[in-house]
Amino acid sequence: MSKNSTAFKILGLALLLAFPFLPVISSEYVVHVAVLVMVYAVLAMGLNVLPGFCDLLDLGYVGFYGIGAYTAGILSLNHGVSFWVIVPGAVALGALCGVLRGAPTLRLSGDYFAIVTFGFTELVVLFLTNEIWLTRGPLGLPGIPPVAVSLEWLGIDWRYDFLSEVPYYYLALFMMAVVYVAMCRIEDSRLGRAWLAIKEDPLAAASCGVNLMTFKTVAFAFSAGVGAAAGCFMAQWSMFLAPDVFKFWESFLVLCMIVLGGLGNINGAIVGSVVLIALGEVLRVVLPNFGLPAETRFLAYGLIMILIMRFKPGGLFPTIAATSKKSRLILELKARLQAERTG
Amino acid sequence: MFEQQLFNGLTLGLIYALIAVGYTMVYGVIELINFAHGEIYMLGAFLCITFIQALGIPLFPAIALSMACCAAIGVFIDRIAYKPLRKAPRLAALITAIGVSIFLQNIAMIIWGSRPVPFVRAAVPKVFGETVFTLGSVNVSGLQLFIYAVTTAMMVGLTLIINKTKVGTAMRALAQNPVSAALMGINVDRVISFTFALGSSLGAVAGILVGMYYNTISATMGYNAGVKAFAAAVLGGIGSVPGAMLGGVVLGVAETLGAGYVSSQYRDGLGYAVMIAVILLRPSGLLGKSVGQKA
Repeated sequence: MSKNSTAFKILGLALLLAFPFLPVISSEYVVHVAVLVMVYAVLAMGLNVLPGFCDLLDLGYVGFYGIGAYTAGILSLNHGVSFWVIVPGAVALGALCGVLRGAPTLRLSGDYFAIVTFGFTELVVLFLTNEIWLTRGPLGLPGIPPVAVSLEWLGIDWRYDFLSEVPYYYLALFMMAVVYVAMCRIEDSRLGRAWLAIKEDPLAAASCGVNLMTFKTVAFAFSAGVGAAAGCFMAQWSMFLAPDVFKFWESFLVLCMIVLGGLGNINGAIVGSVVLIALGEVLRVVLPNFGLPAETRFLAYGLIMILIMRFKPGGLFPTIAATSKKSRLILELKARLQAERTG
Repeated sequence: MFEQQLFNGLTLGLIYALIAVGYTMVYGVIELINFAHGEIYMLGAFLCITFIQALGIPLFPAIALSMACCAAIGVFIDRIAYKPLRKAPRLAALITAIGVSIFLQNIAMIIWGSRPVPFVRAAVPKVFGETVFTLGSVNVSGLQLFIYAVTTAMMVGLTLIINKTKVGTAMRALAQNPVSAALMGINVDRVISFTFALGSSLGAVAGILVGMYYNTISATMGYNAGVKAFAAAVLGGIGSVPGAMLGGVVLGVAETLGAGYVSSQYRDGLGYAVMIAVILLRPSGLLGKSVGQKA
């Protein structure tokens, strides 16, 4: 564990401790933006598994987000299923779709994998747009009930509906913390090291006894499941869904977050989502002062992305693996893998 | 009916091919998925109608001027945005390309507005709109014939440039191995600039043809065309110029036939479905070289 990343963990922990008090000290708008940031942070951490840990460029991640969101939307709106029941179900469905998408692409790499994942999202969006009997098509799903906590199933007459931003804030914080801790644990586990080995050199990894099929499939399932969870949350938080939300552009946005933060860096994924979402909000406010319509913020967005890549091509917090192939970390990992296999 | 659909599909496919060629050439020499290529196509169409409307230039010189402008824009983008990242991780260049794409799309929205604009009808010769030839059971409009002629001429020209000229040889050498190409005395940067110029000017032509064909252009049209061309390039085997041509045509025909016989709502999806099926059967595309894939 490098010094740099320890510092980040401490900083992250400090922020995490300060975060619970945000709704107390700030306005509803700030809380709303913070929830948005956390949803994207979860998505970014989930996506990070494929391009960041396994070197598989996934351009269709937002498809799983859409699957999770529509599962939650349809089940809660039409069948009154509770959010707490939907989440595990949607995560399982997302993971299943991840495996189904991943299985035929196991042989593919690089840009061929990218285009297949891309085609997958387009198919999901087409499905959501055209299967009107299920999704109401372009009209979208309005009036999705909010998340509720109740003890009615225990026979106690107590119920709390999430009607303001504040409870969603804590729910999002909880979700992000769970994913964050899980990611950090996985990164440091046998699974995470196997992924990193696949990223560095699939052939060498395979010859060291890493089963590419198994580990890649787990990565597909894991990444997709996290995306579906974020989708569930988003559906019940925004209370409205439309197919347009899950277009390719969203996948790009999440990809930009992890690349800006530093590919493969979990803290980087969070920082990337803070930077890009906050930037969008700041620009929305600032640009009209210069007489420009708020839509031009994407112009500035594009420009800033170009500039960051120009001067920090490895992202804001490049992982060691990204900067040099023969880095200490990799050698250390290879030694550890070797030791694990022999001892 | 079938022949007519096939013909319409071929027309569309040839336009896809024209854009896909620009993608694949850039990929061939610098291994970059140039997402901004779709925006070049969009700019080509807008520049052309601007030249016609604002400067009163006739259609054909306006097309030539628009091609020249797009070539310059392509080279400029490469110099400003991509060149500094030649040695950076590949994803950095990809994100930059996305940034450029967003930037250009929004510039276009500021200049020309975000609503779709009709192509200048008056500038398009009447022959294209009114003449309809009948070949067997197929009705061919003058405009379709024009698209056929232009795209075919461009493809033939491109093939000749790549295979017969010195700069084409240099491009192929660079695509094979940049280091040896440089050692052989090839000015790598100049060849890359030429590739961008060539690809961008073909993209501009495609944008103008689509504008004429559907009689509408918009600042967001680059997105769809861009991803279709990307799909076509991968379908044919990314990096392969004949592959991109074939991929474009296959995609166009698959889409048109699919829309006619299966479901018009899933039109775009059918194109992707065909593409995914081909890639799964032939992981390096129709005409792609098998690149010693790792495990």
